[in-house]
Amino acid sequence: MSEWLESAITRAQNLDDWLAPKRAHALELLAQTKWPTRKTEAWRYTPLRPVERTQAGVVSHDVDLSPEAITGLTAIELVFVNGKFDAAQSTKELPAGLLVSLGRNLDATQQAAALNAFSAIKPERHLFGLVNDALAEDVMIVSVAQGVEIAQPIRISSLLSQGAESHTRVQVSLADGARLTVIEDIQSQGDTLSTAFVEYDIAANAYLEHYRFALQTGSNVAIGGSHFNLSDKSKMHSSIVGFGSDLSRLDTDIIHGGEFADAKLNAIYLLDGKELFDLHATVEHAMPNGTTEENVRCIVADRARAVFNGRIHIHRDAQKTLAALNNRNLLMSDKAEINTKPELEIYADDVRCAHGATVAEIDKQALYYLQTRGVSRSKAQVMLNFGFINELIDLMPNAALAEWVRPIIRERFAQMEVK
Amino acid sequence: MTEQIDKALAREYEAGFVSDVESETFLPGLDEDVIRRISGMKNEPEWMLEWRLSAFREWLEMEEPDWAHVDYPKIDFQSISYYSAPKSMKDKPKSLDEVDPELLRTYEKLGIPLIEQQMLAGIAVDAVFDSVSVVTTFRDKLEEAGVIFCPISEAIQKYPELVKKYLGSVVPKKDNYFAALNCAVFTDGSFVYIPKGTRCPMELSTYFRINEQNTGQFERTLIIADEGSHVSYLEGCTAPQRDENQLHAAVVELVALDDAEIKYSTVQNWYPGDEDGKGGIFNFVTKRGICHTNAKISWTQVETGSSVTWKYPSCILKGDNSVGEFYSVALTRGRQQADTGTKMIHLGKNTRSTIISKGISAGKSNNSYRGLVRMNPGAKGARNFTQCDSLLIGDQCGAHTFPYIESRNPSAIIEHEATTSKVSDEQMFLCRQRGLDPEKAVSMIVNGFCKEVFKELPMEFAVEAGKLLEISLEGSVG
Repeated sequence: MSEWLESAITRAQNLDDWLAPKRAHALELLAQTKWPTRKTEAWRYTPLRPVERTQAGVVSHDVDLSPEAITGLTAIELVFVNGKFDAAQSTKELPAGLLVSLGRNLDATQQAAALNAFSAIKPERHLFGLVNDALAEDVMIVSVAQGVEIAQPIRISSLLSQGAESHTRVQVSLADGARLTVIEDIQSQGDTLSTAFVEYDIAANAYLEHYRFALQTGSNVAIGGSHFNLSDKSKMHSSIVGFGSDLSRLDTDIIHGGEFADAKLNAIYLLDGKELFDLHATVEHAMPNGTTEENVRCIVADRARAVFNGRIHIHRDAQKTLAALNNRNLLMSDKAEINTKPELEIYADDVRCAHGATVAEIDKQALYYLQTRGVSRSKAQVMLNFGFINELIDLMPNAALAEWVRPIIRERFAQMEVK
Repeated sequence: MTEQIDKALAREYEAGFVSDVESETFLPGLDEDVIRRISGMKNEPEWMLEWRLSAFREWLEMEEPDWAHVDYPKIDFQSISYYSAPKSMKDKPKSLDEVDPELLRTYEKLGIPLIEQQMLAGIAVDAVFDSVSVVTTFRDKLEEAGVIFCPISEAIQKYPELVKKYLGSVVPKKDNYFAALNCAVFTDGSFVYIPKGTRCPMELSTYFRINEQNTGQFERTLIIADEGSHVSYLEGCTAPQRDENQLHAAVVELVALDDAEIKYSTVQNWYPGDEDGKGGIFNFVTKRGICHTNAKISWTQVETGSSVTWKYPSCILKGDNSVGEFYSVALTRGRQQADTGTKMIHLGKNTRSTIISKGISAGKSNNSYRGLVRMNPGAKGARNFTQCDSLLIGDQCGAHTFPYIESRNPSAIIEHEATTSKVSDEQMFLCRQRGLDPEKAVSMIVNGFCKEVFKELPMEFAVEAGKLLEISLEGSVG
């Protein structure tokens, strides 16, 4: 066990609040968990040295940080600074049918329900998910009432200052027929460590549009999870954009807990320098007639490393499932590395499942040709290969978000060098 | 139709019988003394014994792997007997006429009459009955070409330099748990050496049989193709029915030197256990080949037997421009579990590999493809193409795919595709409309599904494989 984890456990033991039973359970599980090594399948390609060596710790939340504005987007802002909920920067006027409250401020009935739902979707196997269970203090509860459509997206910003350690947790629930958009956005400065987990419970006929941006780079450790439970005829559409860091790890779990549910997940990541990004995407088809479509595209330059594990598990009863996973990777340098593992585990016969994975490089000849015609290298690169990721940006349902993130991604890509 | 299915379900393992050959068998148990005795029985030189003992000591330190998608009761290595030889071996038969007729009858029941095969197929057969090679044919013709094809125990005596140089060079002693065990206790197997620039004049073949109750079978095969040579090797096996699980932990090492080519084909039909999964062989095999410059190794396998299969024939593409291929059909039914696939390790420039894997699951079985494609930094311009298709027959079985793809060279191109589907109602309807009964229809569809792999098999093997698949599928259609 690492020193960091030991100190985290000690800190968690001092917490006593409404989540006490859940924290105790998480600590119990943590005590039995071995610290991952190269032989631990879930961390095979992602060494935890940056966590072991982290200088981050609990620091004051009284710092001057505020979320970057997104042009053309008015969102309901939920702001966390160094792990603490910042009410001053968060939206106070909420539309009808939307409940946003810290767990500790809920009334007894609501709190009992929230306690019940806590970690009901997030699988127990996530080591840092357990750490988050034990350490997240300002647990935020978001719920949309039956049949209500919330027009404005909710943006959850987690801001970290130099040296900060933060554990944020949000529990989102959509009642029957509700519609909601949630944006998870993590912004950090310098050497930080964060765990950020969100659980989404999507009831029958409800629709969730989900975005997750981790556009910070540099020497931070960012570990997170987005976990979705789908009910009968519910839908979700998730778009993930990640730039790497010392260690960036995201676990997504999509559980088809009802029939005729539909899930789409598109992920883009661009890595440069010595960055690492690890995406573990799991889909559990527990019920029949579900559909899932996943597209994961990744560009890796310099000495960066990309890890992808895409698992589709079709349970015995999940007949008539359609599931497809497509993973495409571009390597830009001799020192870059891609480790990908698209897994299928299928126990039902009347299903159609496919996955594809490719790894290739940027066409240097085409790049050279354009350069001889006077096009700058970075421009030529964007002309030739930006389409590779642009296709997925085009699939983002929210135009304002797509137009905000497109130039950021393009700029990043233009700066990545072919070596 | 229900009647048909019931009838088919009641079908028993056709190769399941025990022949009465008196055997000399060690008492169950494993310690250094047993290894010394095995080595002593074989009159092995000191270095060989030392090699075995050091492997055994490594093995004691190792842990049984648990990452495969299989589930089986813990193996008690002390309850296994590590040596058994047909008694008639003591008189050392010089020709087929001297071979124990009971042995010959055993092969006949399996449909491999040696004499007929010699004449018709022109195949040299090094038949392994339990642990000792009983008869080797066509030796003269091969000797004329300079090809060495003999039991490995004989090669240790006659060609110690070759064995010393290459044994354990592809699969090191402590490579994995079962390989280490094999190094310590292997009793026999085949040794092949093809001299420089030689094209082996015939296809080489070994039939394996497990016959003695409680006998673990530990084969060791070493094939060396010297520069510019070519050889095609066939391995086929079947085992009689019994109640206790049997362990089979073979090691196969292939060495393809510059410009050489080795084609290794397997039809595996060990006893799969009864309907409840009782009995059946545990098949934990390590197969690996190394390709030097411009060399090629091609693995083709048809796996229908064993209750538990754990097998990953692999290629280390060390030399520039070398080629690795893996073609596999794995069929599981009843309660069979198979975790099989390949590893393609690209080290050299412009190395190429192709993986075609077809998994068919029926009954209550689980069939997994597990593969690794690794492009090392030196693998400039390397290419891999992988296709894994799974077919499910029935709603109680499982089909799984675990491909690991690791790329550390930007100029390497990797493509991976996998699909899972069932025999569709439309396909069945079309076939039945044309007068085919359901079993024939499924058999035809499955044969089509596996065609890409079957065409890689040598002619006579392809026929056998097709028939085997058809027989194995009987009783799975509903």
